[in-house]
Amino acid sequence: MPALPKSFVPTLLIGIVTAIFMTPLMWLVVSAFRPEGDILGHLSPLTWEIIVPARVTTENFTLLIENGFGRAVFNSVFIAFGSVFLGLLINSMAAFALSAIEFPRRGLVFAVVVVTFLIPFEAIGIPLAGTVRQLNLDNSYAALMGPGIANGFAIFMLRQFFLSIPKELFEAARVDGVSLFQIYWRIYVPLSKAPMVGAGIIIFLFQWQAYMWPLLVTNTREYEVAPVALAKLIGQFDFDLGQMLAGAVLLALIPALVILPLQRYFTQSIAGTGVK
Amino acid sequence: MSADSSINLTRGGALLSPGSVEDKKGRHQATLSAILFLSPAFVLLILFRLAPVIQVFFDSFLNSSSEWVGLENYRFLLESDSFLNSIRVTLLFNVLINPIQIVMALGMALLIVDGAKKPGMWQTLNLLPVVVPLAISSLIWGVAFRPDDGIINAILIAVGLPEQRWLTSADQAMMSIIILASWVGVGYWSLFLVAGLHQVPKDVMEAATLDGARYWRTLWYVRLPLMRRPLAFVLVADTAVNLLLFAPVQILTRGGPVDSTNLVMFDIYRNAFVFADLPLAAAETVLLLIVVMAIVGLQFFMLNQRRSGS
Repeated sequence: MPALPKSFVPTLLIGIVTAIFMTPLMWLVVSAFRPEGDILGHLSPLTWEIIVPARVTTENFTLLIENGFGRAVFNSVFIAFGSVFLGLLINSMAAFALSAIEFPRRGLVFAVVVVTFLIPFEAIGIPLAGTVRQLNLDNSYAALMGPGIANGFAIFMLRQFFLSIPKELFEAARVDGVSLFQIYWRIYVPLSKAPMVGAGIIIFLFQWQAYMWPLLVTNTREYEVAPVALAKLIGQFDFDLGQMLAGAVLLALIPALVILPLQRYFTQSIAGTGVK
Repeated sequence: MSADSSINLTRGGALLSPGSVEDKKGRHQATLSAILFLSPAFVLLILFRLAPVIQVFFDSFLNSSSEWVGLENYRFLLESDSFLNSIRVTLLFNVLINPIQIVMALGMALLIVDGAKKPGMWQTLNLLPVVVPLAISSLIWGVAFRPDDGIINAILIAVGLPEQRWLTSADQAMMSIIILASWVGVGYWSLFLVAGLHQVPKDVMEAATLDGARYWRTLWYVRLPLMRRPLAFVLVADTAVNLLLFAPVQILTRGGPVDSTNLVMFDIYRNAFVFADLPLAAAETVLLLIVVMAIVGLQFFMLNQRRSGS
């Protein structure tokens, strides 16, 4: 019997572990394409039909869209990408000031940034939502996006990277009379692909995972985000599992398509913070 | 680091504008630019982070009619069975889930780093659960845990084990939430540990690929001690996340059965919205903030130590 390659056992083991972790997602995808009545029928007793659908349909998706879920998905995507766009801009500007510009009390200002990322947003969401409602700012994109744009951890991460950019570049540009904004925009931002992607993913996941905050500051369909819309399906008297699973597929697919190709940069940006 | 850059900047400033008056003007201008660069992020951080903390702190000394009651809310909390039970449940949950997640994440990271083919593919696949919104994962697992027609009981029956009550049993509901939260978290935390394992020097890694007893000894005495910082980071960050867990409880158990999954974040939500006692929720939030900030502060302190040490 030929000797097994050295990588055989670990590959087999990680394959088994991954298969276990993937099972709920595979079941989710397969069930979303089943007729509603078939979904629970195939769970117990255990047969291959759990993974292999007997009948395939896209009815769940069309029903979900007809029921206005498209609006909720649009809201979630708009909020997440809007926050990433605005957040990358203002967080990197703050990081630039905290790394390249010398000004009095810089250390103190940086300490404030650090304190803000020690504050867990989930914990202060409830009183803050009360204020937002009192000011009649609930049910608006501003209320939904607001907490996710400025991010202390993103500022911290970008600053760590900016500090590693050779100061000579900054000085040479200053001698040539280049404005600070041009230095930021033409030198620092283009050099910072990995930490910008890392910060973007942090902001994206914050908004994509948001559940309690949207629950607190919206109560109209117009501003409902997708996870809240789906969670409400389960609370309704006549709840349609097929639509819920179809929605779950969409909500898992969008971030997977956005984040997985960029995962390499995310790992690099973790390295930059000194975690590893 | 900062001493270094200040020397450089002074030199740059001198090149730009010789003479002390000009120099002072340059510094003034730098401060003005810094304010312009900082203000958008700072306004938002103050509005959405700092101001609410100050507000919740003040609210915790008021009653429902906005009258000053001093420490009354705190006294009430510390004497309330519901709050004490919620603390007990939250601590038990964390004592169980954090070691479970870290051991599993470490195991996964070791398999990925030590010789599995296509490490990037496994890493990517196991990262998928964390990109699914937690509210959605909770819904999927809620279906899987159904006692009568759920897939998990179907698997138990197929391998000859007795069915379980899962989320509907006061004894098993917390375990069910641990399973679901670990499904989400393990792949994510292993990402940080893979990054850490890659930092362990090459010659140690070569000894590690040898099989048998030598592997485990190298792991235990050489590699894990070198992994102290990434492990500590993951432990602290994971604890902060799990102290604040909310969505699975709100969606699946509403704290029950018989308060067995009444994690403190859900207890706060319930005090605020079911019992409409916002000041009490504020006092509870202050206590939670103190604990979480102490833990996350510790994490930041350790990260900083790492940087100045290297």
